[in-house]
Amino acid sequence: MTTPDHHDDGAPPPAGDPAFDPAETLRIIEESQQRARKGIEVDGRLLYLVWGLAWGIGYLVLWTSARDQGGPPTGPAFPIFGTLLIAAIVITIVHSVRRGSGTRGPSRRAGAMYGWSWMLGFLAYPFIIAGIARAGASEEVIALVANALACVVVGLMYLAGGTFFPDNRLFVLGLWILLTGGVATVAGMPGTYLVMAIAGGGGFLVMCGIEAVLTARRRRTAACEPGARDVVGQEPVDG
Amino acid sequence: MDELDTVIHAPARLRVVSTLAALAPAEEIAFPKLQQLLEMTAGNLSTHLRKLEDAGYVRVSKTHTGRKPVTYLALTRAGRRAFEDYTATLTALLKGAGT
Repeated sequence: MTTPDHHDDGAPPPAGDPAFDPAETLRIIEESQQRARKGIEVDGRLLYLVWGLAWGIGYLVLWTSARDQGGPPTGPAFPIFGTLLIAAIVITIVHSVRRGSGTRGPSRRAGAMYGWSWMLGFLAYPFIIAGIARAGASEEVIALVANALACVVVGLMYLAGGTFFPDNRLFVLGLWILLTGGVATVAGMPGTYLVMAIAGGGGFLVMCGIEAVLTARRRRTAACEPGARDVVGQEPVDG
Repeated sequence: MDELDTVIHAPARLRVVSTLAALAPAEEIAFPKLQQLLEMTAGNLSTHLRKLEDAGYVRVSKTHTGRKPVTYLALTRAGRRAFEDYTATLTALLKGAGT
């Protein structure tokens, strides 16, 4: 940790120095903070896109298979659906852990607990499905309950996440997933899967689009901060 | 007009402080992660962090994960206030220059 002082920038330019440019300095601040946030916070665009594709494609595959069979989906439909969900889970965990690593404090701890809550939320899931199957539920009832239960857990987790982080858009998404689960169950098979694909998968993709627009707008606002116009077109100072 | 804080004013330290200010007030960041965000050499970053620590702007806590020593860094309350004052002064300078 000991380094000679020649690494230092030397004397800073005084505020009155003609070389000193407050606009440029503000731009350096903004750029550093954006870079920091990008390295620390989870990228909503990526996660919403991944889940939008997993639900959108996965449920469409289930719906197509169920419609063609006139019964429950067969063949590769469930394996494809399962693979997509597992891929989305792995990407979510790897991305979140990577972004969260190297920091510590209350919000990091809350984030980790939120992550574990997802696992815990689905802890009872297989037992409930096995239980109603053992009690004599038909395949259609099992499929409807399995789907609805997942929607309730996911929806409530988003409501909780939206409340604690706090993130209004996530809260609205939670409400949307709960409604989707309700409508999908009322629709009945195989329409359930179509509702899940369009309203559920589509919901995630809409969220991805909103995040992308907001991120782009935030970046543009930062670039147009008062006086920053003078430095537009110059090479970024830090690399 | 307020004087600009010379501790923060050096470009490299300004980037360090800006990055630390992007953390939530009670959060800390590990040295390697901070180094990765700033793309500075370890020696260079250490030098700047020492200056900031000497000024009372940065809090350094050394700890262990397993057997590996890890250094965590965060702005102190004084550091965060100094950063806020600095940006406020800059903004005021810009407004002054505009009239």
